[in-house]
Amino acid sequence: MPLFPRPASAAKQPAGRPSPGPSRRTRKAGAVAAAVAAVMALSACGGGASPQNADGTVELRFSWWGGDKRAQLTQEAIKQFEAENPKIKIKPEFGDWSGYWDKLATQVAANDAPDVIQMDEKYITEYSSRGALLDLSKYDIDTSKLDEAALNAGKGEKGLTGIPAGINAATILANPAVFQAAGVPLPDDSKWTWEDFGRIAAEITAKSPKGTYGAAAYGTDEASLGVWLRQNGKSLYTSDGKLGFEPGDIAEWWAFLKKLSQDKAVPSASEVVEAEAAPLDQSGLATGKNGMAFWWSNQAPALEKASGGDLKILRFPTKTGSAADAGLWYKASQFWSASSRTKHPQETAKFINFLTNNVKAGEALLADRGVYPNSEVRTAIQPKLTPADVKVVSFIDQIKDELGEAPAPPPKGAGAIQEIIKRYTSEVLFERLSPEDAGKKATDEMKSAIAS
Amino acid sequence: MSAISELSSLSRRKGKVTAAEKKANSRDNKAAYIFLLPWLVGLVAITIGPMLMSLYLSFTDYNLLQPPEWTGLDNFIRMLSDARLHNSLRVTFTYVFVGVPLQLAVALLIALVLDKGLRGLPFYRSVFYLPSLLGGSVAVAILWKQIFGTTGLVNQVLAMFGIQGPGWISDPSTALGSIILLHVWTFGAPMIIFLAGLRQIPNMYYEAARVDGATTLQQFWRITLPMLSPIIFFNLVLQIIGSFQSFTQAFIVSGGNGGPSDSTMFFTLYLYQKGFGQFDMGYASAMAWVLLLIIGVFTAINFIASKYWVFYDD
Repeated sequence: MPLFPRPASAAKQPAGRPSPGPSRRTRKAGAVAAAVAAVMALSACGGGASPQNADGTVELRFSWWGGDKRAQLTQEAIKQFEAENPKIKIKPEFGDWSGYWDKLATQVAANDAPDVIQMDEKYITEYSSRGALLDLSKYDIDTSKLDEAALNAGKGEKGLTGIPAGINAATILANPAVFQAAGVPLPDDSKWTWEDFGRIAAEITAKSPKGTYGAAAYGTDEASLGVWLRQNGKSLYTSDGKLGFEPGDIAEWWAFLKKLSQDKAVPSASEVVEAEAAPLDQSGLATGKNGMAFWWSNQAPALEKASGGDLKILRFPTKTGSAADAGLWYKASQFWSASSRTKHPQETAKFINFLTNNVKAGEALLADRGVYPNSEVRTAIQPKLTPADVKVVSFIDQIKDELGEAPAPPPKGAGAIQEIIKRYTSEVLFERLSPEDAGKKATDEMKSAIAS
Repeated sequence: MSAISELSSLSRRKGKVTAAEKKANSRDNKAAYIFLLPWLVGLVAITIGPMLMSLYLSFTDYNLLQPPEWTGLDNFIRMLSDARLHNSLRVTFTYVFVGVPLQLAVALLIALVLDKGLRGLPFYRSVFYLPSLLGGSVAVAILWKQIFGTTGLVNQVLAMFGIQGPGWISDPSTALGSIILLHVWTFGAPMIIFLAGLRQIPNMYYEAARVDGATTLQQFWRITLPMLSPIIFFNLVLQIIGSFQSFTQAFIVSGGNGGPSDSTMFFTLYLYQKGFGQFDMGYASAMAWVLLLIIGVFTAINFIASKYWVFYDD
């Protein structure tokens, strides 16, 4: 029995075919294909059209990051603005946080930046110091009603390049349903310590079905590190743009995380890595897999909506058991910035002014980007707020007297810090590096990231 | 033959060109260039232009937001001490040198089975080719992520046998393996080429071998492999080049960060991060040229080595 009987068609080939095997043509084709494929490694695509005004109307492009809820609210605000200004059309561009910054960098490089840009404190220095953002103080934008600390966060060497869109604070969100199912009482966040946090989280894990954990792991961004450092008298950055901590400080932070992991207070290393990639509505807190998680206060309503239940906003635990030592601060959740190359700076400023000071904008946006920094709008929209928004606003009010000093603004290059933290967190959780070694290596990398 | 070549041979014969001929000649050339134009514009604008730009940028410090500044070889010197870049090379080489042979072996094996003349061959051929069309896509990478997740399909099946599987794509020790597996799974394209190659091997060789009492294994080693070697070579060259440039799978599966712990940080992914995430486009451009060099070297090695193992019977 032959192993490879010819199929009928092949067997019918004339016996005396001159060149039965694959010919030299194949070899040549290989060479050509090689050249083409290699060349394709180098070429990139570019281009894109810029919006032009037709019949006197101006089109502005407005980009932001965020989920579905934010998109709905923002579209509503745009509608209100367009009703008041029929000559200006706003074209929204929005997406997830992770892809947002790659896209923005590319757009700016291609001279195709959106006119209105939702900006984050991690990147504002990067963009503004390199001249990519408009100095908004030169345009007609009323900043007199804004919270002063928040407004200052948008000022830099190139002027006022960002107007705060909201105020938020670092928090721990708790899902009472998970606590209840495990029969563990909610903590008193005015006097809990990190030890309490670890103990409570481990207890929830132990009393919950498999796959549910007491808390999400920290270590996926710099917010929780910032709080930890402040509680230890250090800071992420110094006012002259350097790192405000030593390798040993961050090593301690990771050592505690490692302990949480060993006690099963937080998910396994693999699950932590997988959770990093999940969008807000599929996070462990929203799906009821985590009892507690680290989020910004303005994200609470969106998370509450995604979880379909009630969430409780908690203060960070402290070392001392006194909320006054929590080291929290008011952060400008996001900024409204404008591209320095916008063809329509007046209209752009008009739109930012609308978002900042107009009650109609406030009624549309509510507290999705944090508590409104404009005190008048904040009062005016009070009756419109949903119960979830009210929770956020009252939390921000509650911690008013416990706040620490405003942190130094992140320097140029700070956009890379989160990625470094994430990477070394998984090195520690997978026990590929000790917290001490991770601390040393991470600090070195961070130093060179912000030095350039 | 074209008018151009006729004309030129005519003028060569005469050794002298009249004014009228010259005019006609240039008119013909013009027509040729006009026909070439769409391709030429594409080549210059989309390929050569950006290539030259990237060559220039590789010698500069370019942060995307400000004009590039000439820094000479600085980017290339920095690469020597960039531990993450070295790691990305290690990851990429592992991917290429494990993934490509595995994929080609699977492709050849399936091609051999299909070549036996199964009933409904076109159907099976399509089914096996399907992953090739889908494998590079974002959707499949996302699916892969689900299947190999901590609570994904693979671990659910393993759990039935009482085995607690790791988080295949989220554990640094298995993440790269999962992506290599995804690559192997897209064996359809080389398989189709193998299948075509197998059809070209004349039956008479096998008949003669059988008459001489050769076993099937001997037939495979002595006839199939040598006769197929140009096809194997072709697939090898293409797959090696393609794999060095592989990006999408790792980007999607790792959520864009090459994690966990840089275990799936491909060279291209690091290049992307440097260029678009860390405002270091000069460095990223330099990396692109290093990649071209690496691919060039390996392709050259491939061609040189092919003299010793690829058999052309013409």
